[in-house]
Amino acid sequence: MTVTAVELHRVTRVFDGVPAVSQVHLEVAVGEVLWVCGSNGSGKSTLLRLVATALSPTFGSGSVLDFDLTRERDLIRARTELLGHRSRLYAELSAAENLRFVARLYGVEADRIPPALERVGLDEVADVRAGGFSQGMRQRLAIARCLMRDPELVLLDEPYAGLDADARVLVDDLLTDAAQRGRTVLVASHEAPPPGTVDRRLVLEAGHPVPATADRVRR
Amino acid sequence: MSMIDRLLVRAGTRGAQRALGWASLGGLAGTAVLGLYVVPPDAEQGDVQRLMYVHVPAAWLAFLSFTVVFVASVAYLRTGRIRWDRVAVASAEAGVLFCALTLVLGSLWGRPVWGTWWTWDPRLTTTVVLLLVYVGYLSLRNVADSPTRRAHWSAVVGVVGFVDVPIVHMSVVWWRSLHQEATVIRPGAPTMDPSMLATLLFGTLAFSLAYGYLMAVRLRVGRLEDHAASTVMSQPSPRARAPRPVHPVGGGPRG
Amino acid sequence: MTWRAAWAVAGKDLRVEVRSRYALGSVLPFAATMLLAFGFALGPDRGLLRLTAPGLLWLAGLFAAVDLFARSYRSEADAGALDGLLLSPVPKGAVYLGKAVAATAQVLVLMVVTGLLVAVLFGLPLGRSPALLVLTTLLGVVGLSALGSLFGLLTVLGRRQAALPVLVLPLVTPVVIGAIRATGTLVQGGTEGVAGWVGVLLAFDAAFLATGFLVYGHLIED
Repeated sequence: MTVTAVELHRVTRVFDGVPAVSQVHLEVAVGEVLWVCGSNGSGKSTLLRLVATALSPTFGSGSVLDFDLTRERDLIRARTELLGHRSRLYAELSAAENLRFVARLYGVEADRIPPALERVGLDEVADVRAGGFSQGMRQRLAIARCLMRDPELVLLDEPYAGLDADARVLVDDLLTDAAQRGRTVLVASHEAPPPGTVDRRLVLEAGHPVPATADRVRR
Repeated sequence: MSMIDRLLVRAGTRGAQRALGWASLGGLAGTAVLGLYVVPPDAEQGDVQRLMYVHVPAAWLAFLSFTVVFVASVAYLRTGRIRWDRVAVASAEAGVLFCALTLVLGSLWGRPVWGTWWTWDPRLTTTVVLLLVYVGYLSLRNVADSPTRRAHWSAVVGVVGFVDVPIVHMSVVWWRSLHQEATVIRPGAPTMDPSMLATLLFGTLAFSLAYGYLMAVRLRVGRLEDHAASTVMSQPSPRARAPRPVHPVGGGPRG
Repeated sequence: MTWRAAWAVAGKDLRVEVRSRYALGSVLPFAATMLLAFGFALGPDRGLLRLTAPGLLWLAGLFAAVDLFARSYRSEADAGALDGLLLSPVPKGAVYLGKAVAATAQVLVLMVVTGLLVAVLFGLPLGRSPALLVLTTLLGVVGLSALGSLFGLLTVLGRRQAALPVLVLPLVTPVVIGAIRATGTLVQGGTEGVAGWVGVLLAFDAAFLATGFLVYGHLIED
């Protein structure tokens, strides 16, 4: 039995009169890993932000994890994590404090913080302020935030940007780990997916899905 | 609700606009004739008191306009329909106009009667604060970078501003009552000549028609602007609480 | 849920401010400079300065506080942390309350320092009825922070910055009048009318905390 994790129906998002995403129909099954590719400005980020409820659709409707995209946002947010371009960290707070703040907002147990930091290799700098972190370390911390929460739906927006080879492995691990445990993952990236991790590819071009490329790459 | 919707659509058409335009022009001319020639001058103040026939209606219409802003803002926040935002901004612009008119006419009246352009009377002070609040409302509309954001932000200011008015008035009244100065505004004459009252009511009617005209023009312009910016904006925002079928706003670019 | 989230946001804001001193560090010198300028404008007449001191205290506090509200939202904008608040599944009114609590604490520090400066520079006697003076200050500061935390958000959302003073200053009229008059009466040793002012301030605080709680989500959501 397949249950849908994401269901978008004619979703359009307009910025300043220009549609960034237009008339998108999308169905993603629970446990599926969908790779959204396309060039800069094709609407990948907008699509992910719409699914994360960071943006509201200008029109169209949809549901995420069986909750309505516009009327049950908080229920979606409690089960979804968006890893975007920006780290969303507070420079004045340490790595552990940043995670503790998130944990309190989401009602996550605080004892999940140290293992998450350990997995991304930041356990030794847990008490160092995030303001001094390099781009790669910030991205690791953002990954730790995702690991700590273990959400049902993971949205990764250009997760490889600015990462060295070690950190890229972390993203790959996050992907495979989430997929193995039945989590749904949407990745927006202009790069090619790592082999053997992705169920399906969706190519966006100027806000439209290109139908011929929606091929199935069964694991 | 659907009745109000239909009324709004009809008020925004060119025919309604023309009818209201002529009616308000006639009304204002009638007010001028009645106020300047027909009604006798005031026993104490003489001819200066004739300003009342425009000053008081302007003040009433200012308060009415800002009440409409509040109601439309609440309606927008509850339904997410962009039409309510257009009503709110149209009424805010008219309200700022009437409010400024009230203050200017009040000053002109105050100069010969009280010997000063301005006095820190509670009503005057509340009115000027009110004017500044809604000038802020209009200035905020230029800041927001998306039509939905603009609508949400200004609806919030429309609500907050209206909540503030009674508290501002309360504080200003309390402030004045502690300062033992002779009050310059007499409490309204206990008996008003029937012809004066009739002229005042006629003036209020004329100003209400002018308000209706301004609203009609502004609603139509607002709708055309939204259509020009993007045709999708005439559809209900998905933040509407109740799902409704999509139907286009009447008139549209043809109107 | 609401309270836990509000405390989390307030604690985070205060911790960030204690470490960076980004808001108070520049707002306190600003208030001090303003007080000096007021002194220059009014001249060295002790009697006149003492008479106008309550007004000058609150005006310096008010203008500095408006700047503080915009600055205290800066840390949310820097790395897109505002997205994190938006996407957290807590009532957005709770985020507002947390922000308002943190802002209140910061503006209180601002007012205490400004008050001491006014006492020294303009000879404002602060010791006459300290309990009522503290109550007036607290209520006034809560009112300012309730509005400032609501509209301060508009300085970090979107590409253009909202002109915070244009929005906030007319709306805080009741706080300005109430706090200045009550302070003025109290430092002269009187209490006439102070109860009324406390009532005005209480009404303002309650009205805007409630309104802010209800509408904050409409400001922050896309």
